[in-house]
Order: sequence, then C-alpha cells, then structure tokens
Amino acid sequence: MTPFELEEPVLLGAALALLDPEDSSVRAIAGGTALMLMMKSGLYRPRRLVSLRKLAPALDGVRSAPDGGIEIGAMVRLSDLRRSAVVRAAAPVIAETLLTHSNVRVRNVATIGGNLAQGDPHMDLPPVLIALGASVRLAGPGGERIVRVEDLLTGYLETVIANNELITAVIVPPQTGWRTAYAKVTARSADDWPALGLAVSVRVEAGIARDARIAIGAATETAMRLPGTEALLAGRAIDDALLQEAGRAAAAEAPVVADHHGSASYKRVLVAVHLGRALRQTIAGAER
Amino acid sequence: MSDATRVSSGQIGRSLPRVEARAKVTGAAEYIHNLRLPGMLYGKICRSTVPHGRILRIDASAAAAIPGVHRIVTAEDIRTVIAEPYYGPAFHDQPILAEGKVRHVGEPVAVVLATDPHIAEEAAQAIVVEYAPLPAVFDEIEAMNSAAIVHDILKPAGTFPDLKHLAGRSGTNVALDFHLRRGDTERAFAAAEHIFEHSFRTQQVMHTPLEPHVSLADAADGGVTIHSATQTPSFVRIEIARLLGWPENRVRVKTAFLGGGFGAKVYVKLEALAVALSLLARRPVKLALTMEEQFFTISKHASTFRIKSAVDGHGHITARQCQVFYNGGAYADIGPRVAQKSGFTATGPYDIPNVAIDSYEIYTNRPPAGALRGFGVPQLVWAYESHTDLIARALGRDPVEFRRRNLLRDGAPQATGTVMRDAAISAVLDRLAARLAWDQPFDRGAGTLKRGRGLAIGFKASISPTTSVATVAIAADGSCILYCGTVDMGQGSTTAMAQIAAEALGIEAEAVRVVAPDTDVTPYDMGTLGSRSLFHMGNAVRLAAQDARDKLAALAAETGVPPGANLPISEQFRRKYGMQAGTIVGAGSYIPAYAPPDSATGLTPNATPFWMVGGAGAEVEIDTETGRVRVLRLVNVADAGTPINPGIVETQLTGAAIMQLGFTLFEEMQFTDGQLRNPSLAEYKIPGIRDMPDRIEAETVDSAQQSGPYGAKGVGETGTFAVSPAIANAIEDAVGVRISELPITAEAVYRALRRAAGDQLEDL
Repeated sequence: MTPFELEEPVLLGAALALLDPEDSSVRAIAGGTALMLMMKSGLYRPRRLVSLRKLAPALDGVRSAPDGGIEIGAMVRLSDLRRSAVVRAAAPVIAETLLTHSNVRVRNVATIGGNLAQGDPHMDLPPVLIALGASVRLAGPGGERIVRVEDLLTGYLETVIANNELITAVIVPPQTGWRTAYAKVTARSADDWPALGLAVSVRVEAGIARDARIAIGAATETAMRLPGTEALLAGRAIDDALLQEAGRAAAAEAPVVADHHGSASYKRVLVAVHLGRALRQTIAGAER
Repeated sequence: MSDATRVSSGQIGRSLPRVEARAKVTGAAEYIHNLRLPGMLYGKICRSTVPHGRILRIDASAAAAIPGVHRIVTAEDIRTVIAEPYYGPAFHDQPILAEGKVRHVGEPVAVVLATDPHIAEEAAQAIVVEYAPLPAVFDEIEAMNSAAIVHDILKPAGTFPDLKHLAGRSGTNVALDFHLRRGDTERAFAAAEHIFEHSFRTQQVMHTPLEPHVSLADAADGGVTIHSATQTPSFVRIEIARLLGWPENRVRVKTAFLGGGFGAKVYVKLEALAVALSLLARRPVKLALTMEEQFFTISKHASTFRIKSAVDGHGHITARQCQVFYNGGAYADIGPRVAQKSGFTATGPYDIPNVAIDSYEIYTNRPPAGALRGFGVPQLVWAYESHTDLIARALGRDPVEFRRRNLLRDGAPQATGTVMRDAAISAVLDRLAARLAWDQPFDRGAGTLKRGRGLAIGFKASISPTTSVATVAIAADGSCILYCGTVDMGQGSTTAMAQIAAEALGIEAEAVRVVAPDTDVTPYDMGTLGSRSLFHMGNAVRLAAQDARDKLAALAAETGVPPGANLPISEQFRRKYGMQAGTIVGAGSYIPAYAPPDSATGLTPNATPFWMVGGAGAEVEIDTETGRVRVLRLVNVADAGTPINPGIVETQLTGAAIMQLGFTLFEEMQFTDGQLRNPSLAEYKIPGIRDMPDRIEAETVDSAQQSGPYGAKGVGETGTFAVSPAIANAIEDAVGVRISELPITAEAVYRALRRAAGDQLEDL
C-alpha cells in the first residue's frame, strides 16, 4: 500500500464535498473490509479516502417507520443488524441471513451501506433486500434520491451510485402478508462465499401465491430479480408440480456464470432445487 | 530455581497441557514475523507471470526511481555473493532467483529492497519483465513423454547416494523413477481368478500454515545469523554453508514457535535468498511472504495412480501392480524422496506375495510440490483403499472381512521384503470396525437424503536413516535445561520432549526447560518432519537424560552420598564445588539402523525404523438432488505406540483428519494454462468450524514400539492417511457411485449420480 490522504469529516455535507465526481481514486470508506483487501493486493490505489467513521452517529440505528417498515442507517454494522430486535420483528430473514454471512470479525466492522455500495455479487444481503422490496437513500451534492436495491446494482462491482454520492439509509417496506426465505448455497467449505444466493418472497392467500419476488445473487454477474419466474407463480395454487415448474423456469431464466464454485449447468441445477426448497419454506412459514 | 522434585516416574501417558499454551493464548509467544532488527531492509519479490519462458529483459528503472527503494536485485547480483546459486535437498535445481528462464508462474525473478515494506511492494509491482514463452507442460502423465522439458539436465544433490545415478540425465521430465519387484506378478496375473484395474487422481493443494514463510538474515562480521520459520534449522545451516563455501560455525539459524508447518517449511525456502540479500545490502534483510505468495512456494503433489490386482477364488489378493506418478512441479524439492519412500508401501497394508511398483517424480511447469503431512502416502491410500473397496464390492464380500483376509500381520514380509514388527494393523482395523458397529444395521436415510458408511486403513514407512542429537544440562541448583533442535510448530513437541527427559531423570516435566532451536546452541537434528521427531529426537533426549542421570549418580558416589539417600541435587553440587557451581551435561545421539533398497529390485531387509498405521471410518449423508456430502461422523484409529501425551496425540489425530477432510472435499489449486486461478484464502477454502463432522473421534490402539522412547512412535501424519478413501467408500455405500478423483465436490457427486442414471449433465 502506498501513502494516501485520509479525511474523517464529521458532517455529511463535508463528506460529500470531499468526494470527487470525476476521480475514482477518491473513495468513501466505511468498515473497509472489502476496500482494504483491494488496497493490499494493489487492485486499488487511493489518492484520498473519506472515512465515514465520524458520520456514524448520524447514520446509525435501526428505526421503525410509521408505515410498519424499517429504516436502517447506512453505518449500522452487520453484527448490530443481526442482533436488532426491530429487524427481527419486521424482517427476520435479514437477521437469519447474517448468521452465516462472512464471519464474526468481518460482521463486527462491515456496514450495510458499504456492503451495498461495493456492488459485489457474492454478497448475501443484496438478493435478500431485493426480495424484501428494499430501497436505499442516496445523498449527493444536489440533494437526496431513493433507488430500489434491484436498480442500484448494475454489474460486477458496478452500481448507479455517483462518485460523489453516499448511501445514507436502507429502507425496508412493511412486509405484511409476505414471507421471505433465503437459501445460501456454498459449493466448497460451509464458510465460503455463496455459489448461489436465492431469496424468495411470496404473498400467499389460501394456498394461492398472490404475488412473488424472487432474487438471485452470487451465481450471476450481479444480484437481480427473476421476473419471468415471478410471473409464472402469480395467482397459481402452490403444489409440488408448480414448485418444480418454477424451479425449471428460474434455472432457464437466470443468467448464471461458471466460476471457482462450479459450472453454469450445475448452478442451474442448484437454482432449480433451491428455488423449490425456499418456496416450500416460505409456504410452511405462511401456514404456521 | 528450586530443586526439581525427584519422583520415580509417571511422566509417560500423562496428558500434560502444552507448556507454551499460556504464552500463545496471551499473545506473549514470539514469532519471527514480529522480529525487527536495527537498520533492517524489507525485501519484496517480483514473480514470474508465465509458466515457462526465457527472460528477455528485466526493466527495473521505474521501480528503482521510487523514493525509498534501496536496491533492486536480480540473479546476476546473487552470483556476486554466491558463485553457484542453486539449492535443494534432493537436486540442486532451484535458483535463488530465476536465471535465464522461469519454470512456473510465481517463480521469484527479482527483489526490491526498501526500508518500508509497502514501498518495496509497490516497487516490485513496477518491475517490468519480458519473457519469450516456451512450450509448457502441466499434467504429470503428459510430462512423461512431453516435448516440453522443464530442466535441460538433472542435477542430483549428492546428499542421497541412491539418487547419484540420475546425474547428467537430459531430455526427460522424470526426476526420479523407483522400481520394486517381488515375486512373479506376471505368473500371478495369468493364474488369477479375478483381475481388477483402476486409476485414481489427486489434486494439487497447499499446506496453508496460518503463519506464512518468513526469514530474516543478518550477515555481519564474517558470519550470518538467520532467523527463520523453518522446520529444519540444521539442514538450513548446512545448505547455506555449502552455498557460501563457509564452515558451518559461521552460519547460525534460529527459530521461534512456528504458526504451523505441515512440511511447507522444510529445507531451504526463503533462507538462501535472504542471506544473499543481506550480503549484498550489508544490512539485515527480512523476507515475509503473504498468504497469497505461499501458493507459489510449495504445495502437495497432484498424482495419478494406476493400480491392478489379481485375486484368487478364496478372496486372497495374489498380485498387485502399482504405477504412481507424482506431479512435482518445476523444482524437485524433496519430491524424489516422496516418490521413493512412498513407493515402499504403494501396495497397501496387505500380505501380497507378488508385487510390482513403479513410482515417478515428474517435473512440470506448476509451482513446486514437496512434503505435506504424509509424504505422498495419503495419495497412495486414496487409491489403494478405494480399489480395495471396489474389489470387495465386485466379489460380493464385506469390505472389513475382505481386508481382514488379506491384512499384513506382524512377522510377515511387506512389499519391500522387510518383515513387519510393531505394526498394529489388525488391531486398528478391529477397533475401527467395532467403533463403527460394522456388524450392526445402519440407518440408510430416506427420500433425497441417503446415508452410507465406509472405512479405510493405511500405513507408512517412517523416514530413514536420520540423526537426532540432544543435550541435557543439570544446573547447580538441580534445575534442568533440555537443548533440542526439534521445532515446535503446534504439534506439542516441547511438551513431549520435556516429559521424556523428565521420565528419564525421575523428575516432573514442568521442571524441564526446553531451549528453542538455535544452531549455535542446540545440537544437530535432521529436521522436524515425517513424524520422525518423537521417535528419533525422543530417543536422543532419553539417552541424553539417562547420561545426565548416570553422571548425577557418579557425582553422588563421589561426594559420599549413600545409595538411596534422598539428598537434593543442589546439595550434591555444593558438596563437590563448595558453593552453588558447576553443570552436568548429558548427551544423546540417535540414528536407527537402515538398509537402502537394492537398486535393481527395490527390496530391503530394513525399510524403516517404525511403521505408522492409521485407519478412518466415515458416515456420510448425500443430498441426491445436489450431490452435497455431509460427513456425519469421522472416526480415526491409529497405532501411535504408547502415547507419551495422550491428550496431544488425540488432537494430532483429529487435526490431521480435519486437514485431510479439506483435501478430500474441496481444497484445490485450480490452474488454467499454468496460471493459478485461486491464490488466496478468498477462493481457496480450508475447513471452517461449520465443516466439522457432527461427531469426530480419535482412538489409539494398545501397542508399543519396542525401539521407541518408552514405547512411543510418531503420529503427526497418521490421521491423514485414510480419511479420503473412507469418505469415497461411504459415498458409494450411500448412493452407489464411485468418485476416483479428489476433491469430491458436490458437483462431482451430482454429475456421477446423473451419469449413473444414464442422464449425463450437459454443459451448455
């Protein structure tokens, strides 16, 4: 690592002013768990890092929103998110997902804002948040905008976040009537990055899937929804035949890629199997 | 310190907690990575980006211009301080820095010296090297008859007499071929009722010690001190002295605790380069690798094993042919010895009258392979125990019964002709079957989760013939210091050696202080490797302590102490010298008997000082929809002789089994055209806590190694032997498919299931 400037602004406005819309060698750093690895390996050489550490008090905390949803400050650490009673009540799938996310040392410093801003397709949270219908609040010099998580991620380590914008919060809408499950599938060690991350949200009434949100990560270039499979499920009675049909549809629809974890054809098998299993899990939850 | 309390015995079989445990847990233990010396420079290595190529040009101008860079060093500079800069324990084939050409991706080509490690690293990345690519070969079978030749000429080191005949060979990638012939295999195959032939492969994996390689050399005043995380300080001293043309006494090698070794830190690794750099810079130089760099430094052999057996109508194996091909990578390291020594036991722990073994160490353009916890034996057991199960199944015989029928028993000659002694092979198999309740019904699972169980048993001829020397000093107050070159890398040797010395002296192990290896202080030891230390050094320590005890007895007699009088040792010294003064030094040196194999037949009446026997049993559950393998239970049974410290023996067995579990299920160095695709712990996964079997058990059978210290023998590698085939055998038991290549990933199992169903998974 070579020397660089380190700024630690206290106010959000100052942080935004220190970022440079044209210069990617200036970046914000939150927990630093991803960025530091890139810096150590020489993949990223910053000219200036803007630490968000001292902004944390303003961007911290998980709050219940009046509509029954929740708003999570961008600097909330993953381990705090996992323990949050508000999260466990409103969207327990987030807490469950974080149990096997990375490891405790990483969770103790990594933040949810950094997790999303990095745009790494091998993360567990993006498909989960997409299935929950979550959005992020982005602050920039011109003010604030709200972007859905599914629109935030555009490719491998690529997002729509401008170089002088920051995620300030993650907004999870109310989940009334919805059930969500996440399948983290590893191909090597159980402590591995996922080979496939599959999040399934369904709204079931009297055995009929009224609505579904299905999001895939890790096996694809970026986390994304599978709208064709969602459409196939909508309004159908849920039975084994439908689950198998949906599994086949998702395997065909998802643009999976081969990598260290396995071949594309094997990952399609995983998509088909685990979509059925995740759907069964959500239905079992709905019937409880 | 106070007088050591004299007790009669009781140190053997005592599960004393490791003596260094507190220092390690509190962070007080010293490691070479923490060491800094005044004026020290940091070296960072610029590595080859091509698997095989001539070096056309090294342009270091941009690197040299970076502020803070002290110097750039290439092979040309090394030659100004070391005339013939090639090293290696078996062959002098490895250049300190690549000279003329590179032979694998990641080979060191140049070094940046700087006062700041980050500057050195940045500058190393700024060095531009141009290569003219040469044809390269990566597969061990292809390399047998390849136009791509890794080394123009073979250069055996001369250390091992049985490699001398290889000198000057050219036009080949075969670094060593070992052949063993006993009986008449051709006739036996012609007369056989059944013939079985299979081929098995293993993948290249890495040792992954959590402390990467680190060496710090300080050349000054006509000598050099090397602080190094090495398992072989005495070897490093001799090899560096040879390279420099200096006497041994001008080279000092010191170690500290090692954060794991597993064979990665044997012989010379960074030491020669660090010494050359310190001589050039006239300052101390530290080389500390990253985890990523370890992948390019040393690894475990990938292998191919073709095995063929003849069986008669009674289920007796009458003949076995073994062809083993070890992928040695670009430099021989200790690979030729791996190929030869493992060749001794390639037919397995079975009483087979007619055997033919051909074992090859083969150069390829991959990162070098050396010794990894088992010295080639886990690769063999993987093949011969998978093969044994396949035969039993084909003959409709129970796998345990079939093994029992063919087992090698004490008093019978093994493949090399050496008669088996003190090898509890039958007892290990019996205890394994009993623990698994083999004769009882087994829950086979239901639906898409199918269960199965399997077992396997392997054995190893220990390394030989090698020497260990120890000294024991009794101070005038009766306290005891043990000078012993065995390196404690987490295996608990310090504790075990203290127990052995204490037993011989009749004191408590806690009263013995063990001095860490330092070649200026501790006497010669061949190395901490191949599970040799407890046996070889243990014997030397016992002899040294007995020598000290005899001298104490003489002192007592001389000072008029009546026999049996309980006079403190300090008082005996005081009587002799009139004050607290003097030292008693006991010395012990041990080398076991050995007979090298006959060059024509490979046979020897004495292949090894002791045999190691390890068995494993696995109960697995397979998700038939995904191929995912879950190990529900892993049982390890071993012959470790009489354990000195049963608690440490158990953790050694379990630790080794977990390491092998990673090699079995997912660890793999993945290459494309010689480029390693996953040189980091992000993409090369080792087992984590959630990969542990639900139940993991270890047991040692009742046994005694007559020639060992207090009946003990080595155990560091034993737990690795049988894990892989036990799991593969259990998988076949569960779902009826046979996996013949490691690692056994979920995808491999799934594909095999689809093939078996006649519905092959198509790659789109």
